[in-house]
Amino acid sequence: MRRNRIGGACGLLALLCGAWICAAQNKIAQAALKLQTQQETKPQSKMNTKQTTREVIDEAGRHVAVPVEVHRIVALAPNLAEIVYALGAQDRLVGVSNYSDSPSEAKSKPHVGMPMNPNLEAVVAAHPDIVLMTTEGNRRETADELARLGIAAYTTNPHSVESTLESIEHIGGVIGAAEQAESVVANLRQRLDALKSRLGSVSVARVFFVVGEHPLISLGEHTFIADALRYAGAQSVVHAKQDWPQISLEEVVRLNPDYVVFASSDSGDEESQTNRLAELRSEAGWRELAAVRDGRVVVVSDEIDLPAPGLVDAIEKLARQLHTDVFEDAARCASPRASLTPEERGRFLAPTPALLLRANQERPEFRMTNREFRYTEHLIAQLCESASANPHPEAIACGR
Amino acid sequence: MRPLTPRRIVGICAVLAGVLFLVVVLSLKVGAYPISVSDVTMTLVRGALGHWNSIPSSDRLIVFGLRLPRIALGILVGAALSVSGASFQALLRNPLADPYVLGVSSGAALGAILSLVWLQQFPWSMQALAFLGALATIAAVYFLGRRKGQLDSTTLLLAGIITASFLSAVIMFLMTTVSGRDLRGMAFWLMGDLATPPAIGLGFLFVILLIGIGAIYTTSSDLNLILTGEKEAHHLGVNVPRVKLVVYVSASLLTGLAVSVSGAIGYVGLLVPHVIRMLFGSDYRLLIPASAIGGAIAVALADTLARTIVAPTELPVGAMTAAIGAPVFIYLLRRRFA
Amino acid sequence: MSAQGMPIPSAGRDAAADWMQNPVRLLVEQASYAYSTSDRDAPDFTLGPVTFSARQREIVGILGPNASGKSTLLRLLSGEFKPLSGRVELDGKPPSQLPLRERAQRVAMVHQESTLMFPLLVWEYVLQGRYPYGRRLRFENDADCLMAENALAQVGAKALLDRRMDQLSGGEGQRVILARALAQQPLLLLLDEPTQHLDIGGKVELMRRLRRLAEENRYTAVVVTHELNLAAEFFDTIVLVQRGKCLASGKPADVYRRELLEQAFETELDVETNANGKPRVIVRGGAETEIAEGSAETQEKS
Repeated sequence: MRRNRIGGACGLLALLCGAWICAAQNKIAQAALKLQTQQETKPQSKMNTKQTTREVIDEAGRHVAVPVEVHRIVALAPNLAEIVYALGAQDRLVGVSNYSDSPSEAKSKPHVGMPMNPNLEAVVAAHPDIVLMTTEGNRRETADELARLGIAAYTTNPHSVESTLESIEHIGGVIGAAEQAESVVANLRQRLDALKSRLGSVSVARVFFVVGEHPLISLGEHTFIADALRYAGAQSVVHAKQDWPQISLEEVVRLNPDYVVFASSDSGDEESQTNRLAELRSEAGWRELAAVRDGRVVVVSDEIDLPAPGLVDAIEKLARQLHTDVFEDAARCASPRASLTPEERGRFLAPTPALLLRANQERPEFRMTNREFRYTEHLIAQLCESASANPHPEAIACGR
Repeated sequence: MRPLTPRRIVGICAVLAGVLFLVVVLSLKVGAYPISVSDVTMTLVRGALGHWNSIPSSDRLIVFGLRLPRIALGILVGAALSVSGASFQALLRNPLADPYVLGVSSGAALGAILSLVWLQQFPWSMQALAFLGALATIAAVYFLGRRKGQLDSTTLLLAGIITASFLSAVIMFLMTTVSGRDLRGMAFWLMGDLATPPAIGLGFLFVILLIGIGAIYTTSSDLNLILTGEKEAHHLGVNVPRVKLVVYVSASLLTGLAVSVSGAIGYVGLLVPHVIRMLFGSDYRLLIPASAIGGAIAVALADTLARTIVAPTELPVGAMTAAIGAPVFIYLLRRRFA
Repeated sequence: MSAQGMPIPSAGRDAAADWMQNPVRLLVEQASYAYSTSDRDAPDFTLGPVTFSARQREIVGILGPNASGKSTLLRLLSGEFKPLSGRVELDGKPPSQLPLRERAQRVAMVHQESTLMFPLLVWEYVLQGRYPYGRRLRFENDADCLMAENALAQVGAKALLDRRMDQLSGGEGQRVILARALAQQPLLLLLDEPTQHLDIGGKVELMRRLRRLAEENRYTAVVVTHELNLAAEFFDTIVLVQRGKCLASGKPADVYRRELLEQAFETELDVETNANGKPRVIVRGGAETEIAEGSAETQEKS
């Protein structure tokens, strides 16, 4: 009898607990909803606009109620932070994911955890009007969670170079920087078009792109980098349905690529390239590869795997390295002094610090380094123009 | 001679529940978003009274939207895992049995992944397949672990480890061949993740876990006898096949549900029952409820550590329990075979 | 209870009045059993028809070489197995047809050894014997504790009450296991090689204790053992089995015949009768017979 009563009491208690949890859950949902409505009503008192949010469909197909006025942005992936900077909205950026180091100022923004596993508390604590996400770097669960908490989360899905440009436009639209986005994208498009016309006649370079060395991992046809390679006048020798296939070195030797391409954060200096070449030449399997033997090893900026404006830089740089002849020819054609002797041309192309400075001031989007300077035909053309128009200071620098 | 009384069970459980309460308060307090204890209390009290509007919105979002559901999920998962661990230890008469060590978690994870690959649109498919995966794995391990018709402790452990690694290989295969957004997050989920509230709802999960734990509890006297030997238990009047069926199904249900909502959180099922045994003895009538609360404490605490130790970066809770659990497991192993 | 026409073994006390008051408790009549790994195959092991009976206070010894079916016979008696033919009855009811818990209230089995997973205290272990009484999920009351204490006292192990099971010596462990069986308050006590891990002193002590327990608690006990001489000394009935066949059953003096024992154990043995009329088995010859096998044969003929 007594035992029955104890059992009954326990059961009842347990059921009550269950009921409470169920009820509490509903209340949480209600609380979240209330917050959302508050967000909608709060700015109404400040401004006399009728609507404070508008419904958009993001690139993952989710319906998102985006505030019309976006004052605080959290970017949950490095490329998104870069896009926000490119759109000139960095002052409104109140939180970035770990690894957001492009541009370098982004590092000093408050961090909210890894892209795959952001700290939602930190996101909430940043009081964002909108959270930017990508399908590649973030998890769908995170978007679900943010939606549950009543925070607008806009997910981009940049799976190709073209869709990256679209994503930039979309983000510009969502955060209220549509004009900047338009000009940034127009600039990038123009550069890509210029590249395309330049590479129009050139034969496609067959490259082996190294994603990871140990184990050796390359990329599949449907990846973002494969698309970027196509823009740079190259084609991956690996044809795989898988996104990140593991490849044996033997297979690489059999495929016999024209170039071996590495992505690295220290791509800028020539040193890393020669170092890498020396390294490969000392390794048994790599040594046999014609591309390595002949020194056709390219280290490209790791911007190539970030769907952000820097991608176009990386594509341009890669194109220049893979198709040196085209760019050299172009340089010669574009230059009024196309008939310079090699020696003269060398002198012509060796820049002085003053020239470099001025070039960077005039065309800041090129962000030139010493090495790149030599290949930038735009600048050469410009210099030559200015040299012909104005015969003194630069002309001296040009060797004339 | 002090035979176990219901009063003693209630007393011990009350003490453990007190500890759990403290852990919950601590867990509500700490985190990337700073919030004071008094604010937490005020938020809770106002929330309980239904005065939602008087709570600052971000406090409400942090406490009710993020921390409380996460803690509640941790508690449920911890209770489920440690009760199923304790049950497997009795069922297989092996003190090293645990859903993770025996590969049951891997089986459940495989089931859950298969449901994501094939049956994404059905709401309960993940739980159902995780349960079936757990059930099939424990059956396989049970039969692989027999030698000459007898359960052999070493063979069983080996069978579990081999099954687990085989299933991990299958999971790896699925994850590399099938590309898609959901599968990418899965590597993460496999390490144990409490940040995502279950699609089936916490209340529902609670009720089902309660049924599972309750079913196991009804057999706790029988489990005591089974632990001293199946034949002996039979001759003392225990319907061994029936008890084994009940415990096997219930423990698989608990494991499958826990894995389907939180991924594989290892070592909880192994360690918590052992610690409870060391503290309060190995009577299953006490061990089951005490392990449930102890498991809740362990997972809530591990998750609190996981999300604060390198904040704002979050560690997977499975990594946390493994980091603490693996050395303790080795210690228990050495003590046993010393 | 129809026991007429059955060979009724005498309890040693032998009185007509006693027979009326003390009916046959355990009746085994032409009981047989067969194991097989699958339904289609021929059985791997058969236990041929066995017949014997025992009243309360009587002890039955099951003797025979290893793998002769002794344990199978014990499990047949415990009700774990249902006889293929013939019958096994405990107070007129076949134990295999009783519900498990009811059966456990009547039949207690003492296994060779108990392997414990987790350290258990002695009193906790003995209290497990109270499981068949009451509900399935139950908490022991004071009466159960008293019963357990009594059981421990009966085996002379009351001092061990608060010790841990895994820290007991072989003999102590044996006594505690016996105490758990006593706490079941059975009618029939089955012991599977209880003397296995005991020295000679322990063996004799156990036999004496079994005898006394049978007297005090009116148990019927069935003991599987290899101790031929102790069995002859202490038991009322002996069942001799070999390769699944029951060679003989009855009073020790009837069963302990040289040719039967030699057939059963496939060893050369001598049987002599000691002062109080109990048979005694002696190993013949030792080293001598092994050297001269022929002489052993001639001895047998003579």
